[in-house]
Amino acid sequence: MDELYLDNIDEYVNDQNKIVTYKWLSLTLGVHVNTAKQMLYHYLDQRRKERSGTTLHATYLVSGKCSENGSVCHKVSVVREDQLDDTKSKLDKTISVHVYSVQKAELKDSGPLYSTDYDAVKENLKNCNKYSTIRCAAAVPLSHTELQKVQEKVVEKEATKPSLNDHTAAAPKPSVKQPKGIMGMFSNKAAPKSEACNKEVKTEQKDEASPVSVILFGQTSKWFPCRERRPYFTIVFCANKIIDNIHSVLVIPDSPPVPEVQTPSPGNEVKKEPVSHQEASEGRRRKRRRVLKARTFLDDEGCMVTEKGYESESYSESEDDSKTTSQPSGESNSLKQSLGKREEEKTKERGQKKAPAAAAAANKSTKQSSIMGFFQKK
Amino acid sequence: MFSDITEQKETLLAPPGTERPVFSRDERTYSGCSEGFGLGERSFQRQYAHMYAARLMQMRGILKDRAEQKWGTDIPIKKLCDLQMGEQCVIVGTIFKHMELQPSILKEISEEHNLLPQPPRAKYISQSDELILEDELQRIKLEGKIETAKFVTGSVIAIMGAEKNDGKFTVEDYCFADLPPQAPREPLNSDRFVLLASGLGLGGSGADSMLGLQLLIDMVTGHLGDLGEQSGAASISHVLLAGNLLSQSTQDKDSTTKAKYLTKKTQAGSVEAIRLLDELLVQLVASVPVDVMPGEYDPTNYTLPQQSLHRCMFPLSVPYPTLQLVTNPYQAVMDGVRFLGTSGQNVSDIVKYSNIDDHLEILENTMRLRHLAPTAPDTLGCYPFYQQDPFIMAECPHVYFSGNAPAYQSKRIKGPEGQDVLLVAIPEFSSTQTACLVNLRTLECEPISFSTFSTEDDDEEMNISH
Repeated sequence: MDELYLDNIDEYVNDQNKIVTYKWLSLTLGVHVNTAKQMLYHYLDQRRKERSGTTLHATYLVSGKCSENGSVCHKVSVVREDQLDDTKSKLDKTISVHVYSVQKAELKDSGPLYSTDYDAVKENLKNCNKYSTIRCAAAVPLSHTELQKVQEKVVEKEATKPSLNDHTAAAPKPSVKQPKGIMGMFSNKAAPKSEACNKEVKTEQKDEASPVSVILFGQTSKWFPCRERRPYFTIVFCANKIIDNIHSVLVIPDSPPVPEVQTPSPGNEVKKEPVSHQEASEGRRRKRRRVLKARTFLDDEGCMVTEKGYESESYSESEDDSKTTSQPSGESNSLKQSLGKREEEKTKERGQKKAPAAAAAANKSTKQSSIMGFFQKK
Repeated sequence: MFSDITEQKETLLAPPGTERPVFSRDERTYSGCSEGFGLGERSFQRQYAHMYAARLMQMRGILKDRAEQKWGTDIPIKKLCDLQMGEQCVIVGTIFKHMELQPSILKEISEEHNLLPQPPRAKYISQSDELILEDELQRIKLEGKIETAKFVTGSVIAIMGAEKNDGKFTVEDYCFADLPPQAPREPLNSDRFVLLASGLGLGGSGADSMLGLQLLIDMVTGHLGDLGEQSGAASISHVLLAGNLLSQSTQDKDSTTKAKYLTKKTQAGSVEAIRLLDELLVQLVASVPVDVMPGEYDPTNYTLPQQSLHRCMFPLSVPYPTLQLVTNPYQAVMDGVRFLGTSGQNVSDIVKYSNIDDHLEILENTMRLRHLAPTAPDTLGCYPFYQQDPFIMAECPHVYFSGNAPAYQSKRIKGPEGQDVLLVAIPEFSSTQTACLVNLRTLECEPISFSTFSTEDDDEEMNISH
C-alpha cells in the first residue's frame, strides 16, 4: 500500500493527463487531505530525482502573514512553482506551504484547478468533509423524519387560517336530516343512500366555509358524479330494448316481409322494427306500438336517472290512419319533384309502400328523430 | 489576530507520515435576536407617515436627554409651534433634505414638464440642496453651522440655535442620539473567530473568483494549509454571509424586454446560481455553523427588512441544523458578543444622497444617529411599519457590520458611556477576494485574502487599502 499510490498518481498524471489536486486525490484514494498532500510531494520529489528533464509541473499553496500599510493581513495564494519563492519572500511569516496540484502541462490559468475540484466534490457531496482535518459535532444532518417534523412546525406557524376539521365533523349531524327532507321527494330507499353519499363527499372536502355550504355542495355533487358515471346508460338501455323487439318481430311469420326488406332506406334497425311492426299489425284495429318515452326514476345509488326507452303503448289504428293518409300524398309529391318523371312510378310505388312506413316513421319521428324525418316536411 | 495564532509547521513537504490529525471545531453559544425584523402578515394599506411619526416619538426622549447633557438645562427645548423670534432654544425633529436632483415620480409622469425619466446617477446631491427640520406639526428651514451635504433625510437630531427674522432657523450646534446602552460582555478564554464574507456573486461571468471561493471554503473546512493553519481554522466557530450571494447579472430580466417566443424555454439566471450556492453551502454547513443573509440581488423581497431566503431553495443544505437562513438586517449574540449588521443597502443609499463615500464613515454616522437606515422609507424601499420603527437601535452591538463594501475597512469606536464597538465594512468577495475574521476575544478584525494566478502578470492582488 505504501508505494502503490505513487503508481496511481503516475497513472493519473501521465496516462490520463489529469490535473491531480490534493483534494481530488484525497477523495479518489480515500485518504486524509494531509496525507494526499504529502503523497503528491513524495511523488513529485521521486520523479524529479529519477528522470531529470521530466515534464511535471506543480502548483503550490502558500499562506502567511503579510503587513501592508500598517495593517496585518492573512494571505492564502495558489502559485506556480516558479512563483513560489517570490511569493514566500513577500510574506512576513510563512505559515504553510504544500503542494496544491501536479500536472503534466504547465498551467497558465488557475481555472482548471477549480473545475477539477468541483467535479470531485460534486460526486461526494454527502461526505465532502470526510477527509478534512476538522470535525464539527453540530453538523449532523437531520434524518428524514426529523426534518419533516421541523418543516411541519414551520408550516403550522405560517398558517394563519385555523383548520376547519371541526366544522366538517359537526356538519354531518345537521345535514343528515336535511337531505332526508329533500330526497324524501323521490323515494325512501334513496334517503339512507344519500346520507352515505353525503358523508363520502364530506370526507373528501376539508376546508369549507360553513356547514350550510357543505350541505349544498354535498347535494349537488351527488347529482353530477352519478350522472357522469353512467353517461351511456340511456343509450345502452335503448339499444337493448330495440334488439329484443327485432327478434320478437321477425319471428312473426306472415307479415308482408318483402317490401320492408327492399326499402331503399339504410338498414336502420330502429326503422325496420317499427316498420315491420306496423306492417304486421296493419290488419288489426287496436294494436300496441313501441313508443319512445322518457322514464325518470331513482337508481340504487340515490341518483336520479332519466331514461328514454321504448315502451309498448296501445293505440287504435283509426287515429293513426288519418295521419298516414294525409302524409303519403304529400310525400309522393315531394318525391316526384325531387326525383323526376322516369322514376315517378317507381317512386310512387315506393312512396305508397313507404307511405305507411313513412307515416309510422313520421309518427315515430315526432318522438324520435330518424332519417325519415326529412320526408315529413310539407 | 488569526495569523498570530496559526503556527508555522512545515510537515507537508515530506513523504507521508502516519499522523492523521483531527481537530474538533469549537462550539459557540448562539442566540438570534432578529425577531423585530421578521414580517408576519403584510399589509401595504398604510401610509409611510406612521413610520416617521413612530420614529420621532421613540427618539424624542433620547434626544432631549442628550441635549440637556450637552448644552445644559438652561436652554429650553421647544416645539416648532412654540418658537419665538430671536430666542435661543433647542428643537428636536426629523431632517428632510430637499434635493433638486432627487428622482421624483411625480415629475416624471407629469406631462406639463415634458421631462424624460432621469438616468441613474452616482450621487443626487447638488449645491442647491436645503435642509429642513420637521416635527409633529411644523417644519422650518435650517441654515448656519450645519453641513448640508453630510445629512440625509430621515435622521432625527436636536439642534440648538435661534429663529431669525426671515423665518429660518439659524443653527449654532447640533447633537445626535449617539450610541445606545451596551450590555457588558464576558471575556472569553480562548481565541474564537467569526468569518464575515459578502458579495459572493455567484452566477456572474467572473470565473476567476470561483477558485478563490473554493479556497475560502477549503480553508474554513480544514482542507487547506498545514497543521498550524488547520488548527487555526478549527477556531473559526461561525460563518456569516452578508448578502449578494448571487451576482447582479442574474437579475437581468429578459422577459420584460425580449419577445416571449425567444425567452420561453430559458430559465432565469438565478436558478443555476442558487443551485451552485446550495452546493457550496453544503460543503460549509457540514463543518461549521453558517448564517445566510439575503442581499440586494438575492431572490427575496426587495424592501427592507428583507426576509430570509426560503429553505426550499437549498435541498442539499437544509437537512443540516448548522444552516441558518436569516433576515437582513440581522442581529445575534454569539458567545456574548452582539452582532448587528446589514447587507449594505442602507450604506450605499446614503452614499448616493450625501457627499460621503467612505462606507466606514457612514457606518459610524448611522451608529451615532442610533438608526440603521435613516433614508428608509424616503429613498430606500421599506415596509410601512405602523407603531414602531424596528431600525432604531435599542441596544448597542459589539460588532456592527455592513456588507458589499468596495474595500475592507474596520475601526473601533467609543461611545459616551464607554461603549466599545467594532465597525466592519465587509468587502465584496467577487471583486476583492477578501473576507474578514473577527476575533471574539479581543474584538479585532483581520482581513483574509485569497489569490490565484492567471495569464496576466503576477501582480500583487488584494491590496488592503484604507
